Amino acid sequence: MAQAVQKLVAKVPTLIGAAATYSKPRLATFWHYAKVELVPPSPAEIPQAIIGIKNIVTGVNSGRLGQTTVKDAFRNGLVCTEVMMWFYIGECIGKGGIVGYAV
Amino acid sequence: MVPPVAVSPVIKTARWSFLLIGMFYGKQRYDYLKPRAEKERLVEEAEKKIREEQEKIAKALAEGNIFFNSSEC
Repeated sequence: MAQAVQKLVAKVPTLIGAAATYSKPRLATFWHYAKVELVPPSPAEIPQAIIGIKNIVTGVNSGRLGQTTVKDAFRNGLVCTEVMMWFYIGECIGKGGIVGYAV
Repeated sequence: MVPPVAVSPVIKTARWSFLLIGMFYGKQRYDYLKPRAEKERLVEEAEKKIREEQEKIAKALAEGNIFFNSSEC
């Protein structure tokens, strides 16, 4: 029993090294994409966003959005779902836990 | 590697504003629920004490009954 634990403890640095070498390039690719795609909007982009939302509203009112193809609608639905998930991530951060409220 | 795509500003603002709103909502809901959970826990403890007392009395009665039964015969 003690020998098995010792062998495991001796293996831990190699495991950590292997995990680091495995994850470094993947983290690098993630950072490469996140730097462009996940950054918050710059102050110049917020008016553009407001104009974009107005365009969507006019699209709904004029009926243009009824002409979207199923493929586009599906893609837009996926994007909306992803945006909604950010709300729940924020809620997890605000309540200080992942599952439930720790009251 | 595929070059990173330029995300539309609408999506970017929506994501990060939802994140902030979610953080506020989570904090507010937590502050709303915490005192209520404390009160509920106190009530639950008081009720549990009463329940345990009653169970002890019922158990003592049951044992007393067995004792009485055996003393009759």
